[in-house]
Amino acid sequence: MVQINFARKEVNCKIVYYGCGLSGKTTNLEVVHEKAPSDRKGELTSIATEGDRTLFFDFMPLDLGKVGGMSTKFQLYTVPGQVYYNATRKLVLQGADGVVFVADSQRSKLEENIESLKNLEENLRENGLDIRKIPLVIQYNKRDLPDAMPVEELDEKLNWYGCPTFEAVAIRGEGVFPTLKKLSAMVLAKLNKEYGVGSRKPARTESRAQAAKASSGEISTSDRPAPTRKPAAKLQRQSALETATATAAPPATERRKGAAQTERPARSEPARPPRRSPPPPRERDPLRTAARRRTPPPPPARSPETRRSGSGNAVFYAIYALLALVVIGVVYLLVSGKLNEWIANL
Amino acid sequence: MIGKNSEQMRETRLVFYRDDVDRINDVLEEFLKLSGAKANILIDKEGHAVTQAGLTSSLNVDTLSALVAASFAATREMARLLGEEEFTILSHQGKNDHIQLTLIADRCILCTMFDDSTTVGMVRLYAAEASKKLHRIFDTIARRTEAPAGESIAADFGDQAESALDDVFGA
Repeated sequence: MVQINFARKEVNCKIVYYGCGLSGKTTNLEVVHEKAPSDRKGELTSIATEGDRTLFFDFMPLDLGKVGGMSTKFQLYTVPGQVYYNATRKLVLQGADGVVFVADSQRSKLEENIESLKNLEENLRENGLDIRKIPLVIQYNKRDLPDAMPVEELDEKLNWYGCPTFEAVAIRGEGVFPTLKKLSAMVLAKLNKEYGVGSRKPARTESRAQAAKASSGEISTSDRPAPTRKPAAKLQRQSALETATATAAPPATERRKGAAQTERPARSEPARPPRRSPPPPRERDPLRTAARRRTPPPPPARSPETRRSGSGNAVFYAIYALLALVVIGVVYLLVSGKLNEWIANL
Repeated sequence: MIGKNSEQMRETRLVFYRDDVDRINDVLEEFLKLSGAKANILIDKEGHAVTQAGLTSSLNVDTLSALVAASFAATREMARLLGEEEFTILSHQGKNDHIQLTLIADRCILCTMFDDSTTVGMVRLYAAEASKKLHRIFDTIARRTEAPAGESIAADFGDQAESALDDVFGA
């Protein structure tokens, strides 16, 4: 929950690194701590076991500096990944403004990743947060390991919400900053949308409003496809690929190193070979990037009730009316005794 | 009345305006004076410091706030397991310095640091008084519907955020 403090001229946001055990959450934080400018970072505090496994959380404050006259700070937390520590995981998640889900790319860890993502959704819900509304970024870590699954397959298996994804080798510091930068931009865009007046600037109204919407994660069923809406996700992917066909591809190594943002929409059809098309060009504006890269939103998921509309409604009501008439008729016959008479005649 | 507003406050995020924080600071200063404690930090439940009073310059307020909030959250879970709704006061006793944590309006935690120049009883007594006063201030904050003039996020926040992110994380 963002705290805006006009007395201290501060904006404080809470970002949580989530993921299964040994996926690299603490490593991410260590890299941020090591590489962030010294005047911007605070102390890295770890509440860990003797074996260096996170027991409660790791924490470090990161100062973004003055933004719009407010000192903007991110409080970065990790959760303990081990299944046993779910209670503490839930506590750390309380009041989170954004989540980085660190997935272990190894095939042998796929089930653990899926369990952890489900656990994230559940714990967010128990903290009154919706995974579809909170800014969320997935990092596919450990891309250098031989057992690493292809990104397309990971997208299909894990990116149920169509959120931005990044490849990383956190232990070498690759992909760590792009991941955090994207999530930070999403969190600030959401804050700006809810509290700022920037979106009302006439010259940039459209792009900023779109960026805020897409980046904010306030997308619910309209911007992020629901897990079960695979056809919509497929269309999204195709559309993105078609858009990308006209652009030039950066070298593969650049993507690998996380130097280029590898954000992509959700994909759902791994069996279909991906078209050989280059990804869209890198965009410099993090607050507007999401809006541009996100493909047109799928139609919102509707409940059976809301789906009954137009001509469907008319048929529905007609059937009801017919049934009501039959019931009234039977009751009338029963009351008047004519039904017995009619049955006796039969 | 207070309970209802506290519920509302839990549901909505808190924005602290200068006037509110000035009033909170007055309460914290008075509390320090009466109790003989060394320092106060008011921390929201997410672990962000709201304001501070007394000798806090040597403290790492950010980290302390995060740890206090986590400690309180963990204790709340313990309370729940015991069938209690919440433990509203926590004390940590050291050799020389001690900490008392008091839950305020179910939304913030007042962290009071004191040494042997005063007693736990004094701190607890005046903390209870300060808590009531802070409660009333928080109720006013929760009822506020409009921001005071001149206190809003700047129009160019989005643009500045972009360049700040580039500065820290690289373009």
